Amino acid sequence: MARRAESKTSHSTLVNTGQAGVRYRQEALESFYDGFKAAGIDFAVFLPDSMLDGIEQLIIERGGIDTYQCSREDEGVAMAMGAFLVGKRPVALMEGSGIGLSALILARGIVQKTPTMLIVGHNSTLGERYDYHGATRLVAEPVLRALNIPYHVLFDPSEIRTVIVEAQEAIEGQRIPVGVLVPSHVIRKFGDDQ
Amino acid sequence: MNRIEVLRYIASLRNGDPMIISPGLANYTIAEERDEPLTIYNMDMPYATPMALGMALGWPERRIISVEGDGSLLAGPGVLTTVARYQPQNLAIFVFDNGAYLTTGSGEAPTATAFGTDIEQLGRAAGMKNTKTVDTFDSAKTAVKRAFTEPGPWLIVAKVDKQDRPSQRTRYPLPMYVYEAGIKFHRAASQEKTAKR
Repeated sequence: MARRAESKTSHSTLVNTGQAGVRYRQEALESFYDGFKAAGIDFAVFLPDSMLDGIEQLIIERGGIDTYQCSREDEGVAMAMGAFLVGKRPVALMEGSGIGLSALILARGIVQKTPTMLIVGHNSTLGERYDYHGATRLVAEPVLRALNIPYHVLFDPSEIRTVIVEAQEAIEGQRIPVGVLVPSHVIRKFGDDQ
Repeated sequence: MNRIEVLRYIASLRNGDPMIISPGLANYTIAEERDEPLTIYNMDMPYATPMALGMALGWPERRIISVEGDGSLLAGPGVLTTVARYQPQNLAIFVFDNGAYLTTGSGEAPTATAFGTDIEQLGRAAGMKNTKTVDTFDSAKTAVKRAFTEPGPWLIVAKVDKQDRPSQRTRYPLPMYVYEAGIKFHRAASQEKTAKR
């Protein structure tokens, strides 16, 4: 049975350029992985996106977290919640537009006490330089706010590990989804295109 | 073919297997036959199969059941591609296809299957291998039994009539609120895993 996303990238290629030619901050990628491991995350699901690709490829490369790709973000959130119900500690990674697609399943998760961690590229304010991300930045935070889902917009890569570990504490203690939003400058080399 | 008789047969084979049921009358039949702690009733559509897929991937030792209607599956058929991609052998998807949004309103609004959409072929096109469409109770029993005893993932499409619609008026409350479903399910799964260690 295939248990992990199929794509494989050499580590050096990954941290230098990513698959889309983007240059990532290696320490940020490592902090995400370390945070996931420290928080006990053992199930990840994602829809590939340019912002978070470096994290997604790193957790596949490093292993230790069962990782899957979905066909839509709301499907992925539901998969993560299903994994939670059977005892896993899941995370769903997606572009901010995926939160827009996921309002109903997130609401169901809140009502049903079935949470997941959300790692979300794009935010309302920081680094959104392209017009084609206009709709993306417009839905992510407002949907989270509308559902009273607590979220944190990262600013400094040094806080990544702590934020993830503490987010998981809230997820398990309060049985609520928690979002961690990732502006471009946190994960990519400053001034890069894309 | 009547939906209730097939659901009763599924319930008789279930033996506590985790199950998620999409919105509709199937919930009441399953609850009436035998409520089990590892059950999520009335999952908002189209999330019964995606959530069941997450369960199947996260708990490979257990057979996971998704009960869908044609309307709910057609609201999110992309999940079939993800099922086919990862091929969880412990997942069985039962789709009750009556060609209508039977639970809603007049119950007469047709789904796309009334115009020729073939859900089994959607699964085949997605890459699923173990698929079957059944339109008699005997053929349904054979297919359902295989889904409970042979490796999947399975996609069983049961072509059913609409005659159980009147039972909607006499349904009784489901045995749990949605508000408590996640806590109960999570606790039951954790206890079972702990007991087997």
